[in-house]
Amino acid sequence: MNLFSGTITSLERGLDYSAVKQKVIANNVANVDTPGYKSKDVSFKSILQNEIQLSSNPADPRHFDLSNTQNDAPAITRRPYSIRENGNGVDMDKEMADLATNQIYYNSLIERIGGKFGSLNSVIKGGGQ
Amino acid sequence: MTMFHSMNTTTSALTAQRLRMDVISSNMANVDTTRATFENGEWQPYKRKSVVLKPQGEHFSSFLHTAMYKPSNAGQGVTVSRIIEDNETPGELLYDPEHPDANAEGYVEMPNVDPLREMVDLMSATRSYEGNVTVFNANKSMMMQALQIGRS
Repeated sequence: MNLFSGTITSLERGLDYSAVKQKVIANNVANVDTPGYKSKDVSFKSILQNEIQLSSNPADPRHFDLSNTQNDAPAITRRPYSIRENGNGVDMDKEMADLATNQIYYNSLIERIGGKFGSLNSVIKGGGQ
Repeated sequence: MTMFHSMNTTTSALTAQRLRMDVISSNMANVDTTRATFENGEWQPYKRKSVVLKPQGEHFSSFLHTAMYKPSNAGQGVTVSRIIEDNETPGELLYDPEHPDANAEGYVEMPNVDPLREMVDLMSATRSYEGNVTVFNANKSMMMQALQIGRS
């Protein structure tokens, strides 16, 4: 029996994704005026899809196993289209929306990981105090 | 890909946009300068300058590194590769025979700086700067949140 029961690992992977996403958004916004620059994106959903298909014999089709996740980093993809005359493909509105989304996602993961540590702390102290 | 990677990325963009604003300031300041360079025995008017931006870390060695060690290549921001002078657009000819730089017909060549264009560029640079400041603040608040892990 694992003390941390895989939850912390899953949350960590979520945080990994979110941190890389933040870096990619920062880079896209930094290159908003660079001619020929193509916007980058982080794909996490495809990795998640793979995990869902790989998990064997779930008790329920909605269950999937994240404990055996490989430690491959989230894939960074390049969106090939451009939206401006100079070949630049950074959509500022999309980047700002992604930024807000990513921030909330990151904060919620932090909140959960903190809650998990809180529960463990409570167990260690025997529920007292 | 260190802890402060995205902050460095954003900072590089702030630096680049600030330099762009400096160049625009220079253009606006020299909107009437007729003696910028001395070439072939006569004074040439100021030429409009502009910056050329390019992504940082998009060179061969970084791609090789990505291929060999497979770290995720999120990019390292933006840099000003050079400042170019606009020698194509002709400057406006102003009739002023009294002017010391007037030619034989009495016309003075003015700099090819268009104040309207400079103002539009300035607004664009300001908005890009603000966008990067927003990203920086978002990143900062996320890092502050991360510091709260494990606090009861």
